[in-house]
Amino acid sequence: MPNVTELSVVVPIYDEEESLPVLYGEIAAVLDGMGLTGRRSEIIFVDDSSQDASLHIMLELRARDPRVRVVKFRRNFGQTAALAAGFDIARGRVVATLDGDLQNDPAEIPRMLEELNRGYDVVAGWRRKRRDAFVLRRLPSVVANRLIALFTGVPIHDTGCTLKVFRRELVKSMSIYAEQHRFLPILSAGRGARVREMEVNHRPRRFGKSKYGLGRATRVLLDLLVVKMIAQFSRRPLQYFGILSLGSFVIGGLFGFAALFGPTFGARSSSGSPPDQFHFGDWEMAICTILLLFFALFVYFALLGLLGELAVKASGMHRRSTLDRILNELH
Amino acid sequence: MALDPDLRSSAAVADAGAPRGAVALDEGAWAGVEELDVTIVVPVLAEDAEVAQVVEALGSELDHEGRTWECIFVFDGVAGESFERVRAMRGQYGGRVRSISFKNPFGESVCLSAAVEQARGRYLITSPQYVQIDPVELRPMLAALDGGADFVTPWRHPRVDPWLARLQSAAFNFVIRQIIRMNFHDLNCYFRAIRREVLEDVAVYGDMYRFLPVIAFRQGYRVVEVKVRHLKEWGTGGFFGLGIYARRFLDVLAVMFLTKFTLKPLRFFGMIGGAFSLIGAGICTWLAIKKLFFAVGLSGSPLMLLGVLLIVLGVQILGFGLVGEIIIFSQARNLKEYRIERIYDRPEPPEREEEAPPGGDRPSIG
Repeated sequence: MPNVTELSVVVPIYDEEESLPVLYGEIAAVLDGMGLTGRRSEIIFVDDSSQDASLHIMLELRARDPRVRVVKFRRNFGQTAALAAGFDIARGRVVATLDGDLQNDPAEIPRMLEELNRGYDVVAGWRRKRRDAFVLRRLPSVVANRLIALFTGVPIHDTGCTLKVFRRELVKSMSIYAEQHRFLPILSAGRGARVREMEVNHRPRRFGKSKYGLGRATRVLLDLLVVKMIAQFSRRPLQYFGILSLGSFVIGGLFGFAALFGPTFGARSSSGSPPDQFHFGDWEMAICTILLLFFALFVYFALLGLLGELAVKASGMHRRSTLDRILNELH
Repeated sequence: MALDPDLRSSAAVADAGAPRGAVALDEGAWAGVEELDVTIVVPVLAEDAEVAQVVEALGSELDHEGRTWECIFVFDGVAGESFERVRAMRGQYGGRVRSISFKNPFGESVCLSAAVEQARGRYLITSPQYVQIDPVELRPMLAALDGGADFVTPWRHPRVDPWLARLQSAAFNFVIRQIIRMNFHDLNCYFRAIRREVLEDVAVYGDMYRFLPVIAFRQGYRVVEVKVRHLKEWGTGGFFGLGIYARRFLDVLAVMFLTKFTLKPLRFFGMIGGAFSLIGAGICTWLAIKKLFFAVGLSGSPLMLLGVLLIVLGVQILGFGLVGEIIIFSQARNLKEYRIERIYDRPEPPEREEEAPPGGDRPSIG
């Protein structure tokens, strides 16, 4: 089968008119080096409604090289949407993703492919030596990544690196939205994929300036809750809510314990007055209030979990989950 | 467009209005008909609708511009006089005037969807059941569509209705602008010019047709506002009832939520829940400090209860967000976040330009 597309390189582009020619040159050189000419590879540029001449340059590149495919968005939809669109139209048996700003080095792709062939489904880049400002970019990233790894149990050092290589079956079975591109390795692991991390070369920015700031770090906490849930419990939400429910129960129980055996218990008995079942002291009152409300949460979360089960059931998602089997058959 | 079965049965193409033999009346014939330039869609909500005047005014303007057109009246649970008038127009306009009628009222959103299913025009013009806007204004609106816009929304300026109606409308639009942060001045006017693909793509339901420009914009379509000359207004005297205000407010809330947070419900619920919990935690901390260091009793005031209640309420709201995330994740396949304008693909029929080199030196991938 001479015309099978082996490799699709997906690159989201937003205002990268200066980087584009260089980037294309590098990717094309890598593909040529691997012997992937003609229809055996493709470069998918997803134009996220750039304001500058990016689209024009992409179309010129396409006129020169039949491997180039260009997707133009109606308006700016963000990097996740751009990657999702690339995944949707990719034809390659392997899909690689790259940033458009030249900070990722396409020359790493052949190495990553080799790694993939050792029996992994995803190979994610790890920018160990990042060439970015420390306080604004590296520190928040390190903290966020540590939190993510700790919380989800997927030992990844750098989920934010766009340079990744995926097996086709994986990207075709995932629908990413919102800002999930940052959590792709975790979402993949949640789907039963074998995830491998690999150190990659990271280069300083040559053109333009960073399109991200510190602001996004504030959302990490909420994102964590979501990613944990959809990566690991999307098929059985009751279990996730069950944990929250049990947590509330335990906290409520601790307060109950404190009410029974806490310092106020001793204080009351030492006061000498006969204990009165219907008259609570100050601390007892507080503790009982808290205890009752936590028990309310305990019931509430359990019911929410049932609601979640209902949503999953209604979507038919539980029946679609054949990915694990497919990936296993591949190896 | 998804119509529920109940609706499908009662929404019947009642009348194609063509002389027998020229255009067949059954649905099968719609498919074969050539494409037109413009379809005028008029939801008819009242028996005394000025159907003839609408066709007359808009039709002659379109004829004047040399655009082919048709007009679809959708009778939303209304029959009687206006229905007879449309029937009577057959003699003059033939198959260009058609009607769809619902047995029960379903609202303007459903009217619009039903008409889109039947429309043959590349552009759709939605018009109220009377001549609200000077027909001459069709020219700039259609010109905008010709120029690449996908959706033209009107801005009645200056308006002719009483000051009270104007004031209420202005207030409504001002609030909307603040909430949605989009610069539309007049969402209450339904004299719109829309490319048909937009309506085939953007689903509306309930009272959402009011916010159609906003929703279309969020989906990535180019929405343009055009100032138009206002001729008259039907039945907007006095204050709107309290119920209407409440409904509008809920609509705004729904649109804001759906346009911004559909794909990340936890951001919305998390923000609200987090705020509640923080306030609650603040109250509790303050009380604890007072108790510990200043020996002020806890049970003297209901603040304690309020504080803990706020914390729990906040956590519960967060829980709603999590269920929302599950719903969205399980439906992610059906909700495409992006809209592609065009794919510049490689030239399709492969002309055997590049045969792959024979087996040996081919790197194996995957």
